[in-house]
Amino acid sequence: MTAVLAGVAGFYGPWKHNRAYAQSKPIKLGLTNDASGQFGNSGRDEHRAIRMAIDEQNAKGGVLGRKVEWVTADTESQPAVGTRVAERFITREDCAILIGALSSGVANAITQVASKYGAIYLNSNSSAPSEAAENCARIKFVWDGNGTNFIRAAVRNAMQSIGKNWVLLTNDYVYGHSTAASTKALVEAGGGRIMENMLVPQNTRDFTAYLLKIQQLKPDVVSTAMGGDDNKALREQVVQLKLGEKPAWIEPQADWPDVWGAPQSLSGVFGTTWYHKLKLPGVAEFVKRWQAAIKGDPGAVPVPGNVSYNGYMATRELFRAMERAGSTNNIRIIKALENLKMPAADRMQHFDAYINPLTHQVNQTIYLARRNPKPADNTDHFDILSWTQPQVVEDDAAPGKCKLVPYEQVRTVDA
Amino acid sequence: MLNLLPHLVNGLMLGLLFALIALGFTLIVGLMEQINLAHGSLFALGAYVALQFLGPRPPLPPELAAQWLDLAPGWRYGLALIIAPCAVGILGIAVELCMRRTYGKDPLYGLLLTFGAAMVIEEGIRLVWGTRDHVLPVPAAVSGAFLFHDLIWSTYRFYAAGIALAVIALVWLLIEKTPYGAIIKAGAHDSEMVRALGINLSRLRLGVFVFGTMLAAFAGIILAPVWGIRPHMGVDAVIPAFLIIVLGGVGSFWGAVVAALLVGLAIGLTGAYASEWSLLSIYILLVAVVSVRARGLFGKKSMLEA
Repeated sequence: MTAVLAGVAGFYGPWKHNRAYAQSKPIKLGLTNDASGQFGNSGRDEHRAIRMAIDEQNAKGGVLGRKVEWVTADTESQPAVGTRVAERFITREDCAILIGALSSGVANAITQVASKYGAIYLNSNSSAPSEAAENCARIKFVWDGNGTNFIRAAVRNAMQSIGKNWVLLTNDYVYGHSTAASTKALVEAGGGRIMENMLVPQNTRDFTAYLLKIQQLKPDVVSTAMGGDDNKALREQVVQLKLGEKPAWIEPQADWPDVWGAPQSLSGVFGTTWYHKLKLPGVAEFVKRWQAAIKGDPGAVPVPGNVSYNGYMATRELFRAMERAGSTNNIRIIKALENLKMPAADRMQHFDAYINPLTHQVNQTIYLARRNPKPADNTDHFDILSWTQPQVVEDDAAPGKCKLVPYEQVRTVDA
Repeated sequence: MLNLLPHLVNGLMLGLLFALIALGFTLIVGLMEQINLAHGSLFALGAYVALQFLGPRPPLPPELAAQWLDLAPGWRYGLALIIAPCAVGILGIAVELCMRRTYGKDPLYGLLLTFGAAMVIEEGIRLVWGTRDHVLPVPAAVSGAFLFHDLIWSTYRFYAAGIALAVIALVWLLIEKTPYGAIIKAGAHDSEMVRALGINLSRLRLGVFVFGTMLAAFAGIILAPVWGIRPHMGVDAVIPAFLIIVLGGVGSFWGAVVAALLVGLAIGLTGAYASEWSLLSIYILLVAVVSVRARGLFGKKSMLEA
């Protein structure tokens, strides 16, 4: 009876046609990018990079001889919209692979839908530590450095050189909470004190109350875990009040599209996974390819940043995994991505990157930066201070929290 | 108490800024009985037009542009505060002309039309200025920060709150103390009688709508240095504006001002002492008030309640 039901489910499943025409039909990707809302700017940036990777692959003849096509819809930085879009892409558009996320709330919502259908999901840019811990999934791979990685790179140094009294400014959603939890654990383990963890609702535009309270508390360090437009508004108001120097500010990651247009709002120390001025082979060529890809797009940032980098790398590695696997079967692609080692030179970073098979997190070089006091040109906003090996900043608590389901429990599908 | 005082001051200042945002919205709702969902996009457009005038390439003929750029930054800023709302007011004329067909019909038509206009304006902004963020330059005299009672305060916020106070006073004077205000109010109260007196009601409505549009654009310029300029910044304005007019009572000028101050205080105080509630607090405030007074704080009594 079970076998009969499984057969019926397979027949009526969203990929019933794919099985018949798998060798001639294009591979269709569902691009779940935010185009509006809190992460609209960054979502559009990663969308351009994913399309750039697809265009480059198609120019080389596609994947396994098949053309790559895509559909997209605005996930609006809203988890409920993410759910709706993912459901539609999988059940109506026949997408067996989804790519894209900035908001960890949206990423988590898409993960639930993708898990239900066995669709592979590449979380390209959501950096909540929970994405590769309690919210991990067998079908999901997380490509951005996460809050824990960045905080690990920054906290020890700040505890020693600045002070032990910390205030946390935490966006009230999954990224903020899980990053703040990591920060709190690291600060307290180092003998520091969290004076207050101030939760900031999403879409807050006025931070004066928080900034006044911070002045009253007089901490040594303020560690922020804010996202998108909220982060931009906060940065601008910190600079307006000339609070950027004292107390010291630490920001896990400054997303390039959020910095572009308002570089004067940068203050303190922040993390990133990539910068277009890294003196590494391939970087200048990648920038040129990006500029060719965005030609005629007035909304595009003229140089790629961490968000577009992650979007591009996730998509490129997906294609390579398909080719290594020689198949578009989801389980075979997942196995081709698990344990993947990516040479530093190939990723234009300082250290080799790898995917942890227990969490599906891409562990990569973490850079700490500050606002560039001597920019070489009008795109040179970051002064890279340090780069840390991925092994040093890996979230060692994540494997204990992440429970990947066995392969047998993942519904098998072909793209 | 000393710890509380800065947050009270901050809440009141924030409230004045919210009042400035809501002013144009409440005028159009109160006097024309039209909910202008494009208010937020017009707010954003005001900021963008001012940005264009204050940037290195003002939208002027070359000779005039050169003269404009020779002006002191303070003068340019002051003139942009007038020019940008006027430019947005022209768009307001177009929106109002489109809205005329919805007058006297189901309010849903007006809502849909202004919602569509909001989307068109926002996408237009994206096409012209791109999706990146911008910062509106302000004169040195009103930027920076100052130290007071061991706390650093933003000079610009005091300036913005002062401007908001002045605009509130001017709008009140216009509505309450001038013959134009009397005609506008009469038009809202009894349009048939106003028509019978030979007053062109269409022109009156156009004037009110354009004035509301200009106030939205003006608020956008004043708020831009605080919130930053981005294409969807209008959404951040239209939601509190709508909440404020419902809380204060639809059509009530002072209701909107008092509601804005209460909203500012609620956000300011909860931001400091129960930060996770700071945005939710305004909705709780709305529910609390509307539960007791369905017509809002200063709303007129409904015929059904008589």
